[in-house]
This record gives sequence, structure tokens and C-alpha cells, in this order.
Amino acid sequence: MLTGITLASPTKEDVQRLSAWLEDPEVNASWYGLGDDGKPLHAGYVPSQVLDADEEWERVFNDENRRTFSIYTGEGDHIGEGQLVIEWPLQEAQAYVLVGRKDLWHQHFGTNGLIGLLDYAFNELALHRVWVDVPDYNEHAMRMVQHLGFVLEGHFRKSHRKDGEWYDSSALGLLADEYSRRRPHAVAESR
Amino acid sequence: MAIITVNGPLGCGAVIIGQLVAKKLEMDFVDRLIFTQAARIIGTPVGALIAKEQRVDRLRDRLGRFLQTMLERSAMSGVSGEPYFGRGIENLPPETYLDMVNQSSSSIPSIDDKTFIEAMNTVVNDLHKAGNAVIIGRGANAILADAPDVMHVGLLAPAEVRVSTLMQREHYAKSEAEDVVVELERAREEFFRKFFKFNPNDPDRYHMVLNMGLMQPEAAAEVIAHAAGDLLS
Repeated sequence: MLTGITLASPTKEDVQRLSAWLEDPEVNASWYGLGDDGKPLHAGYVPSQVLDADEEWERVFNDENRRTFSIYTGEGDHIGEGQLVIEWPLQEAQAYVLVGRKDLWHQHFGTNGLIGLLDYAFNELALHRVWVDVPDYNEHAMRMVQHLGFVLEGHFRKSHRKDGEWYDSSALGLLADEYSRRRPHAVAESR
Repeated sequence: MAIITVNGPLGCGAVIIGQLVAKKLEMDFVDRLIFTQAARIIGTPVGALIAKEQRVDRLRDRLGRFLQTMLERSAMSGVSGEPYFGRGIENLPPETYLDMVNQSSSSIPSIDDKTFIEAMNTVVNDLHKAGNAVIIGRGANAILADAPDVMHVGLLAPAEVRVSTLMQREHYAKSEAEDVVVELERAREEFFRKFFKFNPNDPDRYHMVLNMGLMQPEAAAEVIAHAAGDLLS
């Protein structure tokens, strides 16, 4: 595991914190925005629903095709969430990383969280490819994944909808052998 | 709705130029996504398709390792019924030779040529139907060779330019980058010869060929965008 970052199974307190972070307009604006009901959107699950129902918690956090982790600092502070949505036949996964603590943005926590997810994907799950979908409005996320060596595989116009507007987005992928070559450089530059 | 294909040896700058053209003309940009979409159709990891594109080198490397192993075994055994491969090698069935040559160090399965090319054709033709995209390599210029509303751009660049690009982009040492440039270009040529029956460096296959040893990517993108306005309008 990368120094300074720990990935752990989410607790109810973690999901409560995540839900509070998503209520912040600045946080949800960089994420998926608001749904038609005016509530913040999240990837893969609705925080209030998993908190309200044990069956939903079980379904979301024990899904063999989705691994969800809380991201903690080395000091034990919960700062965000990472997910891998896995397609086993293709040996690949889509990765998501959200740093909910705004005071820690632009300090490499997102990068290190993603490195932790990539280590898990390639080393523990033995996947072949991890990819991300980055909307054009999230320039910081684009810089982060390119810094980690993700390769631009395609860029599409008006493909990402947020708050009723359509935005361009990019699909970027990283293969296992590409990651093994680029990881030392990315880690050295993310300290 | 037009398509522009950009094709050239590794390190020519096709990806950067393609992105610049797509931005100028407000088109989609499609690179390795062709393989990932084809992999999805087949239901196999994308590495199986990338291996097809780079097959010539992998086969050569594996054959080299296979031969070396056999020579070492032969030398170690000291006696041999066969001067190169050692005693017993002649009894292996032919499919075992193939399996050994093709064996992969990873768990990526191999796919047959027909499945591969059918999936590639499906993805590229779907892109053509949707239109308004810049497609980088992957044989798109061959698959869409006779399709309407398509402009094909070829790129070339001196080896030192391509080596330098790879060193910067992929953190290769110079000697590694030199090897990769040579090997992957050989693989690209073999890929085209095998699946499309022509040399990808044949200028007759393109509306224009640009020498990226003498142009900056921005200038190349400007030229392509201008030509697209004339040819595809």
C-alpha cells in the first residue's frame, strides 16, 4: 500500500461523511452534480439508501463486480472514497476517486488514492486494464490521471450530462504493463 | 458527416495531431478505444487485440526464448538424438510446438484472426456511420479505404524524432526506445500486410502524407483541418 494512504471497507460513519461532503455545491459540482430531485448524485449507490436499509448496504458493498473503499490518510482521517467497477470477462475495471475533504484538494491525496486503487486492481485482482471517464469540466482530474500515465483512448463531444447540461468527456485507459513502467515515476512525483 | 483517419509509425505524433484536428473541427477523437470496443464485442481482454497488432514481435521473442531453452537443454543433457533440440523433441506433436511458441506470460487469451478482424470492422464501420470523428491508426484507413466522406492522412518521421518522443512520453532509456521503435514499426507493417494486404507506408493509400520531422504538430493539424474543409465538404 502506498505510504500515507489506506484503503478500507466503508463504515456507516464513512458513508454519512461522504453524504455530507456531497451536499457541498463545490464538491458535487466537480463530481456528478445534482439529480432531477435536486439531490447530489453519486457513483454506484445512493448514500441515504444504503444507510437506511441493511439489504441495500449488503448489495452495494458486497457486490463482486464493484469494490468500494474508504480512503484514509496515514493519520487515520477519512478523506474520500474509491471504487472499481469490474468487468471480469474483460479483466478490466472503471475507477472512481472522490476526495470529499476540500481542504485536502490539490495535495496529491486523490493521486495517491488512485495509485492505491490501481495497485489493488493490478496486483490483487490481476486485472489487465483500468479506465476512467473524465468530463472536460474536471480539469484537475484530467491532469491527475495523465500524470499517472493513463492514455487518452477517446474524446467525445456532449457525452457527459451534469445539471441538465451536456459536456465533452474523455475515456482514458491504463494497461497493467503500462502501469508497472510508469508507477515509479508517478509515485516519486506525488510525494 | 466526415471521418479523418491518421496513421503513422509510433512516435510520429499521430495522437497529438489527431486531438488538435478533432478540437479544431469539433469532432470526436478515437484512438485505443477501437480496441477496447472490439474487445467488448468479442468478450475478451483488450490485451488480446493489442497482441494481434504487436504479434510479430511477440512471436519472434517467444520463438527466440523457446529455441534458447531447447539449446540449453540440449547442451545440459550432453546426449542428444537430435543435434539442436535434444532427445525427444521430435516426438512432440505439432500443436505442442505452436502452443509453446504462442504461450503467453499473462492470462490474456488469444483470439483467432477472423474474430479479430470482424470485431474491428464492426467498430470502425459503426464509427463511420456515426461520423464526425478523427480515428488514429488501428487499420481504420484500410477498413474505410473506399468509404465515402473519409480523408486518410499518413505521417512519417525520422527514427531519431520517434525515439525522442518515446523517451519523453514513456520514460524509456534511449536504447529501449530505439528497440521499441524498430520492433513496433515492424509489427505495424506486418499487421497491415497480414490483415489488409498492403504496406502502411505506401503514400498511395493516403490523401496526404506529412513529414513530422519537418513540421510541428500544430502546423500539421492546421493543414489537415484545411484539407478536410475542401475534401469533405
